[in-house]
Amino acid sequence: MDYQFQWRPVIQALPQLLEASLVTLQVSVLSMGLGLLMGLVLYFFRKSPILPLRAFATTWIEVARNTPSLFQIFIFYWGLGEFGIFLSPYVSVVAALSFNCAGYMAETYRGGFAAVPKGQNMAARTLGMTAWQSLRYVELPQVLRAIYHPMTNQFTWIILASSLGMLAGLRELSGETQYFNSRTFRTFEFFMAAAVIYYVITKIALLVLKAIGWNLFKAERAAK
Amino acid sequence: MTPVFTSLQWSDLLFLLEGAWNTVLISVVAIILGSVLGAIIGWLMSLKNTALNLTMMSIIDVFRSVPLLIQLILFDSFVAIAGFPLPPFFSGTIVLTVYTAALVAGVARAGIEAVPPTLRAAARCLGLGYFQELRYVTFPVGLRTAFPSWLGVALATVKDSALVSAIGYVELLRASQILNTRTQESVKIMLLVGVLYFALSYPLSLLGSRYEKKMASNDHP
Amino acid sequence: MSKLTTLSFMAPAILAASLAAAPAYADKLDDVLNSGTLRCAVVLDFPPMGYTDANNEPAGMDVDICKDLAERMGIEAEIVGVTWAERIPSLISGRSDVAIASSSDSLERAKTVGFSIPYMVFQFQALLPADSTVTSWEELKDLNVGVAIGTTYESELQAYKDANWADSSGEITTFQSENDTYLAVSQGRVAAGIATDTAIANIVAADTYQNIKAGPVAPFGADIVGFMTVRNEYGWINFLNLYINRAYRDGTLQELYGQHIGGTMPDLTTTGVYY
Repeated sequence: MDYQFQWRPVIQALPQLLEASLVTLQVSVLSMGLGLLMGLVLYFFRKSPILPLRAFATTWIEVARNTPSLFQIFIFYWGLGEFGIFLSPYVSVVAALSFNCAGYMAETYRGGFAAVPKGQNMAARTLGMTAWQSLRYVELPQVLRAIYHPMTNQFTWIILASSLGMLAGLRELSGETQYFNSRTFRTFEFFMAAAVIYYVITKIALLVLKAIGWNLFKAERAAK
Repeated sequence: MTPVFTSLQWSDLLFLLEGAWNTVLISVVAIILGSVLGAIIGWLMSLKNTALNLTMMSIIDVFRSVPLLIQLILFDSFVAIAGFPLPPFFSGTIVLTVYTAALVAGVARAGIEAVPPTLRAAARCLGLGYFQELRYVTFPVGLRTAFPSWLGVALATVKDSALVSAIGYVELLRASQILNTRTQESVKIMLLVGVLYFALSYPLSLLGSRYEKKMASNDHP
Repeated sequence: MSKLTTLSFMAPAILAASLAAAPAYADKLDDVLNSGTLRCAVVLDFPPMGYTDANNEPAGMDVDICKDLAERMGIEAEIVGVTWAERIPSLISGRSDVAIASSSDSLERAKTVGFSIPYMVFQFQALLPADSTVTSWEELKDLNVGVAIGTTYESELQAYKDANWADSSGEITTFQSENDTYLAVSQGRVAAGIATDTAIANIVAADTYQNIKAGPVAPFGADIVGFMTVRNEYGWINFLNLYINRAYRDGTLQELYGQHIGGTMPDLTTTGVYY
């Protein structure tokens, strides 16, 4: 093989690549947060006796889970553009990823709430708590414990899915890599660097989340 | 001047369906090969060999910690540099297969470990060889546990096939972009594409939820 | 060991070594001729040089040049559709043998690929929404301009901006393909896009975009384009150069130009310099 590897352009571009990784993290955290909130709302809509709410939630969940995330990003970026609504690449990617995340989280919440013994809600209400208080102080903490592991998986997935932002012009890690690739044509070198950075980011994120989980659920662990 | 932009025609639906077919093709190949490979890796991980376990896990970890898009582009340029360039279908299939295998490995391992050890020991006592036991006892029982998760992985692979468009494979999404360039009727095309993807994955997810319900009905309340 | 035995051991080794050495003399031209297929990377969202026709088949001047070259070589042509940014990677990855894709002959690219002699000349021009009030280039200073990634006008616009419009309040938005730029301008996502005069003339003339029009010409100088191929394949590059020369002097290039663009082909030479 007569390909000459040139790593110098990659080393020179490293500061910008790392800066773009921050964008990746920003987008991921934002999408996860929005996804968690919207997913919870969707979960309740799904159980609601009001048909329009149920239909709305079911449609959202099924579309989110049965179409590719890249397609969803294109819908937000180009699809809305047809109607004069111009979302920036950043907003489009966050919107698409949180749309997707909400769909999956709604299902995850279903499993989480099912893990909470049925009597707890009734007991809390008997003690005088409002529905909201019962949710906030009794059920949610247990649900959180139950879904924590799937949630970490979901977050990892979001970090990786943010790479699709490159195809919508977002200058997160992959987009920045492509930018340099289009100027230096050192595809292998640059994308190898990006792969390594993604691996490191994902590992660190996982460690951080594990540590938070360890801390958060100390009481449950002590009870075992 | 020759007509450069032409409007959407019925023959374009055929073009999109061809793209959908390519999506199905690459997904099916990747799912089948990836499941077989993943099952083998999962089985290897279920043997209580720590060294093997750690090695397998760290390798799989790499494939699950790097975005699929990056893996596709990287592998594509790697084979070219190494001197044997592959058409997008082949390099896309290889990467998608390995990615699917990494996911299936976890599912397979969980499935194997969910089989009661007593059941497996009993089978061996009855005179079944190691691989006979795997084939006739562990596999069917483990499959029942692993099926929903495996279906989830299969679904994800179908959707991830859209990414192979980034290395030039003309599957459904790329076909829609080609059409869009020619006709500029993006709304119609995107709606159609959405419907097609939905049609490809929804039956699978319905199958999964129906299966889960059937399994749940076996559980005592 | 006797001399005969030694020799009998060495003979096959020498034979194998010489056979192994032989392929090193086969260059890209030989490879292409032996494969029977000429794979050309062509950008298919850049009319009239490259586009897809009503049957979703590749068409355009670049496509026709590829077919003509293949015919003269006595082999089949295969069109590999790429975006601007994929031209050079397709050459490096071996997915294409030559890029007949209206590639400007920049020195930056020449570090990685080999260029043929020029075969076309363009002017860079702005593409505007139909209701735009822009009439001169300078008015684009504070507007959002869209360009496609991996093009010469992308880097030239950036350089021009840095040199002349340092205090501009407008942004350069980069899109993944040429067509994305056209779409963005027609949607109104950006105030202007940059493309070439030939492409713009085509898009504006077609009825597909009702809300787009041609804008001022960019002051970047003439855009001279050539074929691109692997940098160290000198035999192949020489062959391509000879092809362009012959195709020009026997009128083929002019015929294709008249067919796809109309009028007389621009002069491919740069006065005062030998190349």
